[in-house]
Amino acid sequence: MISLVVAVLREATPMIYVAMAGMLAQRAGVWNLGLEGLMITGACAGVVITERVGSVLAGVAGAVLFSVLLSVLLWVVIEKLRANPIIAGLGLTGLGLSGTDLAIQAIYGSEAAVTAPAGIPTLGPAYGILGVLDVLVLLMPFTVLALWVLLRRTRFGLRLAACGEHPFAARSVGADPGRMRLLALVLGGVLAGLGGADLSLGGLQIFSINMTAGRGFMAFAAVIFGAAHPLGTTLAVLFFSLVEYLGIKAQLVFGENAPRDFILMLPYLATVLGIWISARLRGGAVVNSAELRDS
Amino acid sequence: MKAASLTVLRAIAFVLLALILCGVIFEAAGFSALDMFSSILGGAFLADGALIQDLRWACPLFVSAAGVLVAFRCGYFNVGTQGQFYLGAIGAAVVVALLPGLPGPLVILLALLLGIAFGALWAFWPGWLRIRSGTDEVITTLMGNFIAGLLLIWITSGWLKDPAGSGQVTASRPVPAAMRISDSSGVSPTILGITLLVAIGIWVLMNRTAFGVLGSLAGRNPVMVTWQGARLSRLGLGAFLISGGTAGLAGAMEVLGPDGRLVSGFSPEHGFTAVLIALVANLSVSGTVIVALFFGGLASASLFLPVIAGLPAAAIDMVNAAIALFITARAWPRRLGGVRR
Repeated sequence: MISLVVAVLREATPMIYVAMAGMLAQRAGVWNLGLEGLMITGACAGVVITERVGSVLAGVAGAVLFSVLLSVLLWVVIEKLRANPIIAGLGLTGLGLSGTDLAIQAIYGSEAAVTAPAGIPTLGPAYGILGVLDVLVLLMPFTVLALWVLLRRTRFGLRLAACGEHPFAARSVGADPGRMRLLALVLGGVLAGLGGADLSLGGLQIFSINMTAGRGFMAFAAVIFGAAHPLGTTLAVLFFSLVEYLGIKAQLVFGENAPRDFILMLPYLATVLGIWISARLRGGAVVNSAELRDS
Repeated sequence: MKAASLTVLRAIAFVLLALILCGVIFEAAGFSALDMFSSILGGAFLADGALIQDLRWACPLFVSAAGVLVAFRCGYFNVGTQGQFYLGAIGAAVVVALLPGLPGPLVILLALLLGIAFGALWAFWPGWLRIRSGTDEVITTLMGNFIAGLLLIWITSGWLKDPAGSGQVTASRPVPAAMRISDSSGVSPTILGITLLVAIGIWVLMNRTAFGVLGSLAGRNPVMVTWQGARLSRLGLGAFLISGGTAGLAGAMEVLGPDGRLVSGFSPEHGFTAVLIALVANLSVSGTVIVALFFGGLASASLFLPVIAGLPAAAIDMVNAAIALFITARAWPRRLGGVRR
C-alpha cells in the first residue's frame, strides 16, 4: 500500500507542478496547450545544465528560466499579436519538442539519452521505502495549498479569476487583464519548469527525446477535469497516475501475456474519460478562452 | 480583392517572423542559420528531384489539410489528424492482408474506402462527445493521436507483422505490386487524380452546398444558424466525419503508394503539418493547394537535411512549430485573418 502511494506520488508530482501552471493560466483566461512544450524544455534544461555545470541547483534554475522565457513568448504571441491561444499553444509545444531534440543533437552529437551526474536530493535510504521521494515531491502539497490560498484569499487571486471570467468587469475596477495574464503565465512558467526538472532529475536522472510522452497534455486535461481548482486538478492528476501505475503493475504480474500497448493506452483513455465526466457534470465546455470572448 | 491580398501578405509576414525566431534559435544552438536555411531551401526545392519529392509529400498533406479546413471552418478544432491518418493506414493494410486473392484494382478501391471509414470512425467519437456533451475536442482528439500511435505499434508488431522484418521499427508485409497506387517515388496518375478529386470535392462542398455554407456560418455564429433552422449537431458531426475521412484517405494513400507497407510510427509530423497548412492558407481550398506544396517541400527537406547536409531533421519540425506559434496572429491588419470561431 505504501509502495503504491510512493509510486503514484513519484509519477504524479511532475505532472502536478505542470498542471498548476495550466490551472493558473486557465484562471486568467488562457488555455495553455503549451504545457507539454514547457515541461519537455524544463526536463531537458535540467539534465543538460546539471551535466554541464555539475550543480543540480543550477540545473533546476535553468529549467525554470527557460520555461519562464517560453511562457513570456506565449504571452506576447497571444496578448500582443492576438493569436489564437490553442494553435499558438500547440506551436509552443512543437517548439519545445523540436528545440530540445535540436539542442541535444547540437550539444552531444546524437539523439541518445543524456544522464545527469546527480539528481534532486531525496530523503535517502534511511527512510526506507519513502527514501525515493525527492524535495519537490515533499514540497508539492505545500505548493498546492499555497496556490489555493493565493487564489482564494488574496487580492491577486480574486483579480486573476475576474480577468479570466469577465475581462470587461475586471477592467472596470482597474485590473489590467493583459498584465494579470502575464503574471499568471510567468508564475506558471516557474511551476512548469520545476515539474519538467522533477520529471528528468527526480527519477532516473535521465533526459531522452520526447520523454514527456503527452504528460503536458494530460496535465492540461487535469485542469479541465479538476475545474481549474488547485485541489481538484491535483486529484485529477493523481487519478491519471494511479491508472498508469496499475497498468505497469498489471504488466509485472501478467508478464508477456499482458497486452502491453493497450496498457500504455490507459492514461490517455483515463484522460478522455475525465474530461467527458467533467463536461457531463458542468455542462459543455465550448472553447472558453477569455481571449476569444474579449475580442 | 484588396482584402485577399492583405491576407496573403499577412501570412507571409508571420511566416517570415517565425523563420527569424528559428534562425535565432539555430544560432543559439551553435548551428549556422544561413547554412541551415540554404540547406532547407536546397532540400525542399533546388536539389535534383526535389520537386518530385515535394509533390510526393504535398499530395497526402493536402488531402488531410482539406479535411482540416472543413472542420475548422465549421468551428471545430479537430487536431486529431495524426490519429485519423494512422487509422486510415491501418484500414488499408487490413484490406490488403485479408483479401490477397482479389484483383488489384478492386483491393485498392476497398482499401481506400476502409481507410476513409477508419479515419472517419476515429473522428466520430471525439465529434460525438463534443456534440452530445460538450467534451472539448482539442483534448479528445489529441489523446486519440497517442492511442492511435499505440494501436499502430500493436498491429504492426502483432497480427500484421512481417516475420522477415528486423530491427527496431516494426512493419507489415510489403503490399503486392498489383495493389500499389504508385512506386516509392509517390507520384503517379492515381495519386494525383485522388488529390485532384479531393480538391474539387472539398471546394464544391464548402462553396456550393448547403452543408458548406451553413457550416462556415455555424463556425462563426452558431446561434444564428440554429435560428435559421439548421441542425447544428448534424453539421458538426458531418464536419468531424469528413475531416477524419480525408485524413484516413491520406493514410491509405501512404500505405498503397510510396510506403508500400504499414510501418509503425511513420510520418509522425503529418497531422500537425496538415493543420498548419489549412491555417496558413487561411482555411481556403485554393490557398491550401499552394501552401501544401510549400510544406511538402519542407517535409522532403527533413529527409534531405540529415543525409545530405548532416544537419538534424528536428530543424524542420522547429520551423513548422514556429509558424504555428505565429500564424493565427491577428494583430495586423486588425480586421482580417485568424481562425474564425
